[in-house]
Amino acid sequence: MIRHLFKLIWNRKKSNFLLITEIFFSFMVLFAVLSFVFYNYCNYTKPLGFDHQDVWQLTLRTNSDSTAQNRLIQEQLLQRVKSFDEVEHVSLSNSNVPFAFSMMTNSLSYGSNKEVQANVYDVQDDFKDVMKLQLQQGRWFGPQDDASRHRPIVINLMLKQKLFGEEEAIGKLIPINDSTNYTVIGVMDYYRAYSEFNAEEPAFFSRINLQQNEHALWSSLLIRVKPGTGVAFEEKMVRELSRIAQNWTLEVTTLEKMRKSKARLTLVPMIALGLVCGFLIFNVALGLFGVLWHNINRRHSEIGLRRALGASSAQIYRQFIGEVLVLATFGLLLGVVFAIQLPLLEVMQVESVVYISALFAAVGLIYLLTALCAFYPSRQAAAIQPAVALHEE
Amino acid sequence: MIKLSDIEKVYQTKSIETVALQHVNLEVPKGEFLSIMGPSGCGKSTLLNIMGLLDVPSKGVVEIDGQTILSYKDKELAHIRNQKIGFVFQSYHLVQDLSVLDNVELPLLYRSGISGSERSKRAKIALEKVGLSARTRHYPSQLSGGQRQRVAIARALIGQPEIILADEPTGNLDSVMGEEIMNILLDLNREDGTTIVMVTHDENMALKTERLIRFFDGQQVSDARMYDFQKV
Ligand SMILES: Nc1ncnc2c1ncn2[C@@H]1O[C@H](COP(=O)(O)OP(=O)(O)O)[C@@H](O)[C@H]1O
Ligand SMILES: [Mg+2]
Repeated sequence: MIRHLFKLIWNRKKSNFLLITEIFFSFMVLFAVLSFVFYNYCNYTKPLGFDHQDVWQLTLRTNSDSTAQNRLIQEQLLQRVKSFDEVEHVSLSNSNVPFAFSMMTNSLSYGSNKEVQANVYDVQDDFKDVMKLQLQQGRWFGPQDDASRHRPIVINLMLKQKLFGEEEAIGKLIPINDSTNYTVIGVMDYYRAYSEFNAEEPAFFSRINLQQNEHALWSSLLIRVKPGTGVAFEEKMVRELSRIAQNWTLEVTTLEKMRKSKARLTLVPMIALGLVCGFLIFNVALGLFGVLWHNINRRHSEIGLRRALGASSAQIYRQFIGEVLVLATFGLLLGVVFAIQLPLLEVMQVESVVYISALFAAVGLIYLLTALCAFYPSRQAAAIQPAVALHEE
Repeated sequence: MIKLSDIEKVYQTKSIETVALQHVNLEVPKGEFLSIMGPSGCGKSTLLNIMGLLDVPSKGVVEIDGQTILSYKDKELAHIRNQKIGFVFQSYHLVQDLSVLDNVELPLLYRSGISGSERSKRAKIALEKVGLSARTRHYPSQLSGGQRQRVAIARALIGQPEIILADEPTGNLDSVMGEEIMNILLDLNREDGTTIVMVTHDENMALKTERLIRFFDGQQVSDARMYDFQKV
């Protein structure tokens, strides 16, 4: 029977062409949207590599030009924040804290691996405890690095792979300029700070050494507060700090708030796309339903004939559902041929598993959709009395 | 083979009630070639549909092969149609999008346990019987009316039914082509012993069969055997 249906659809390919293209396009749209959704979801389920709960960002903006003065105030601020009972750990940082709309990249070269772009995070020794980082190999920064000849860095696994492959990373020197090098002292699994929905990227941490950088200023303080610390402390802290830094602008926000606003940036377009896609698919379904309905009404005499030749009403029903599924199969085959190119050609830096699952889900959904559209017309077809069908010639 | 007892068929449409058949008692023995004549609208097609289990009578009993067809389920009726009855229609009723061979195979599609190769083998034999072996790959639109009807007959006989019900099989054909079709049916009746009930408008065709029944206004008005006819 299946072969019969394929033959029937194939022979009617001209009149079915529109339906097949419609199914093809629906599939492509669905596949694209699902790939996007699955990509985000896939990233979302991966570890961030840090714990942002109870971490606050204090943004420091100076309004004066006196570097020496500003630097003094910054160090006083740091000491004052550390001295609060509610504060557990503090680290200076650039503005690229987790979930911030800010990035800093640097390119590193090692041997034949030239110009690997990586996110760079300037942090202090306490940063590991602020963000509760886990190291896989080597160690984190410590006072012993004060005297280091090279500038110590901790890299993530992805950067290690890109620079050193399977080689040991600890102890490797990466040139910064003619006279200085980075030295790798530790490797951590993950650090996915930009957004929960973004993929892991190469990253490394560089140690802030206050003694060696006597004029430098950093724009953020990351503060781990004791669990349950609330707005009251935030106000108190800002009030006290304002006394030290009178002309400065100080702003406090929690990383949780930043995570939420960053997530919105992905979720809103995802939902909008989902709605547009849903609307599109709904339209296609309506069209499909209409065409199927029309086709079946045009085929009364064929239905009557088949009944006369020995088809039961249930067999007519199955035939019409089957025909639609075969029709969908033609459209889907076409679509899969196109869709499969993405993982095969590795067009984008997206894991194949995302595409493959989007592909299967889109195929499944299209089958479901077409079957749903065919359900009612097919039942109508099956209900046609054989004698009546033959009479209408 | 077929026995109709006190059949009545009333069509109920919105406002009007049409009595298509009334008090029909008819027995068709095995191997008989029966023709039915009567003016248009007198209920011939209705009668054939009831015999072929495509329609149910409003009253009366249909028996096929000694089985009383009463409150049979759709599936069982379909099974009997498939096994025992072949249909031939005035307008051929071929599926336009299927080749001649695929059209002929159709009844076997609704029979379980027949492989694809077996189906096409039997379809070729059936087409040979009607002299269309050379046209298996053609499509209905590429054939003449007579050829189309021969395809329809091949389709009716592929399942080796005991009964063939033919509703004006030559109605759309000129006399030469009609003659051809008639000869095929006569051969089927003589050689395979197939019981045939044929509705026709053509007296000459009817006279070639063993028995002729005339209908008028839903009722049987005469029943003549050619055998008697010739004796007289
Ligand atoms: N499905 C139907 N609904 C209503 N009336 C019908 C239907 N089928 C046939 N009739 C009526 O029943 C009568 C007999 O029709 P039919 O058996 O087709 O006649 P014939 O084949 O002898 O020309 C006609 O009056 C016809 O209009
Ligand atoms: Mg008629």
